[in-house]
Amino acid sequence: MFLELFSSLESILITALIITPIISGVLVTFLKKKKIIELVTVFSSFLILIEGLILVNSILKYKTIYVFNGIFYVDSLSGIIIITISLVGFLSSIYSVSYMGKQYEKLIIDEKKLVRYYQGFNMFLFTMLLVPISNNMGIMWIAIEATTLVSVLLIMLYVKQSSIEASWKYLLIATVGLSLALFGTIFFYYVNTVDVPLEEDVLGMNWTNLVENASGFDPNLVKLAFIFIIVGFGTKAGLAPMHTWLPDAHSEAPSPISALLSGVLLNCAFYGILRFHIITSNSIGSHFSNTLLIILGVVSIGIAAASIYFQKDLKRMLAFSSVEHMGIISVAIGFGSVIGIFGALLHIINHAVVKSLLFFTSGSISQKYETKLISDTSGIIRIMPITGFAFLIGVLAIIGLPPFNIFMSEFLVLSSGFESENFLPSMLVILFLVIIFAGFGKHLLKMVFGNPKQTIKKGDLGILSIIPMLILISIIFVMGIYVPEPLQTLIGDASQILLVGDLHN
Amino acid sequence: MIFPTEINLLDISAVILLIATFGLMVSRGFSNWVNAYRYQTIVLAGIVALIASITNIWELYIVSALTFGIKAVIIPKILFYVTKKLDSPIKLEIYPYISMKLSVIIAALLVTMSYFIFLYLDIKSNEIIQVFLPVSFALFFIGLFVIVSRRKALNQMMGLLTIENGLFLFAVSLTHGFSLIIEIGLMADIVLGVMISSILLFRMSRTFDSIDIKNLESLRDD
Repeated sequence: MFLELFSSLESILITALIITPIISGVLVTFLKKKKIIELVTVFSSFLILIEGLILVNSILKYKTIYVFNGIFYVDSLSGIIIITISLVGFLSSIYSVSYMGKQYEKLIIDEKKLVRYYQGFNMFLFTMLLVPISNNMGIMWIAIEATTLVSVLLIMLYVKQSSIEASWKYLLIATVGLSLALFGTIFFYYVNTVDVPLEEDVLGMNWTNLVENASGFDPNLVKLAFIFIIVGFGTKAGLAPMHTWLPDAHSEAPSPISALLSGVLLNCAFYGILRFHIITSNSIGSHFSNTLLIILGVVSIGIAAASIYFQKDLKRMLAFSSVEHMGIISVAIGFGSVIGIFGALLHIINHAVVKSLLFFTSGSISQKYETKLISDTSGIIRIMPITGFAFLIGVLAIIGLPPFNIFMSEFLVLSSGFESENFLPSMLVILFLVIIFAGFGKHLLKMVFGNPKQTIKKGDLGILSIIPMLILISIIFVMGIYVPEPLQTLIGDASQILLVGDLHN
Repeated sequence: MIFPTEINLLDISAVILLIATFGLMVSRGFSNWVNAYRYQTIVLAGIVALIASITNIWELYIVSALTFGIKAVIIPKILFYVTKKLDSPIKLEIYPYISMKLSVIIAALLVTMSYFIFLYLDIKSNEIIQVFLPVSFALFFIGLFVIVSRRKALNQMMGLLTIENGLFLFAVSLTHGFSLIIEIGLMADIVLGVMISSILLFRMSRTFDSIDIKNLESLRDD
């Protein structure tokens, strides 16, 4: 195993990808000085971004990569998740320096808490990176469960009544949900190995093995297992009606963590559904799982629409918007056509970018205004010009206006809905999107352009909070006009994997 | 292949496991729950060893030993420490949402339901699956029931651990143990989870002066 480490660039990359956050976490534990641990975390997140990009480059070249005897397996689908984790992770680490630094100055947290925050941040990145690279579905499950545990630690960083409540609910609901997902995973392992002698079933949990044998599975058990999977991972991915923990947890977390939770972690859980969706489609045809995905997706968008329309708290509103967008991704996968799946995978990246921009800005806004209530926030652009501008762009993008990136992917999704003759769900989605549009729209003008309270001091919150926003804005503009060539190829390959489940083309 | 006496042994162990699980339903005190959980886990470790001896898979002996060491020794130790250190003056479940008597009856119904569900599942079965799969479902449902019907956060944690035990029994009886690395990973997740929820319990009792979950109802959309 040690020799194999240096056998190819890819094995080094994958090892580096998971070792980097661990080393950084250990360094943070021992160094403890505020400036140094901030630097270590930003630097390691930057390294992760670089490693992730090089790895994606290899994925584009080889399509599928196995290392360490197939313990790790990455393809284009994993590539998409790796890009979102590493990009949002890096920007969030920069924003953390500004945001947590401010909390530290305000004496909301002490140095010990700050160390704990950066430990948690690094471990959170580690557990999330483990999800898309593991071939063994059991290890993937363990990684997703570990993300729950680590993020609970981050959410309860502030010892407040509301954050304790949010983390307890999150811990209970997510763990129960994920235990259902483990039931499903074990069922899949069982149908894969039931006719195989015991000595040869060590590979039975591997995704590649499951996909290969899928056509021989017992259809009834596969259906049952997929229901367990979609309810289980769906709980973690924030699909309604299992989403009840999400608005609490995402709004109580520190803002940089909210960005990671909403923009990235939900996708990691949804990635689990996608993997089993491919197996199920290969086994019993895609109709069954597509229908389930469409139903859950439409319900999610509907519930999110109602909650967004009547929402009073800015961060809760954004959290419900994540429920909505996970619903859109789920519906789009369920439509099952090439364009729809391409749109869904594009939407994963677009949503991650826009939602992290919104959480960064809302973090700065709530630090400036010292409230999360929408009604008490007005005139952002006069008080914090750049943050206000970023917030405006973010909201316009999240409700799906052209020329921003989400418009593009939502357009693809809806046109695939009509193309695949799913008229009812498509009409419902459009209706709910209009409601959400109105829900965001009715607050937007007052929040951004209204008259601010005189007592608040003008000025943005410092360069480190601005940089990540500007990077995200430029991505939003660029992706709204065209999708860069390599990304197009990556998403195209990934949609092929989802469509035909074939690994070797 | 399997002798009648062994089948009896399987049945008896399944019954003992269910009785140990019912211990959670009938006790009110914090330390009683931890004890009930410990008995349950010891029986579970025994069952895994029994399955190991029937199927001759040596890995399962290791799993059994790990179960005993981690879940019947270390986790109860953590939990006893927690119950001792909690500031909460009353270490009892006084008014659960559903009364003790009724919850025993409901738990019995849940066990029956598990057997019916198993009958509907069309699983190519051997004796081990036949005996333990319904019991594992029952553990899952009872754990879920404990979570929704009890008011003390510690008791909810017991529900979670019972669900996890059910899951574990399900995995071992259905697949006769998948790879050892995954089992170890699962155990690590559980220990980590127990530690984190203990920290959360301490904070809860310090902030609210109790671990009653009626305090946890302020975050909602109105």
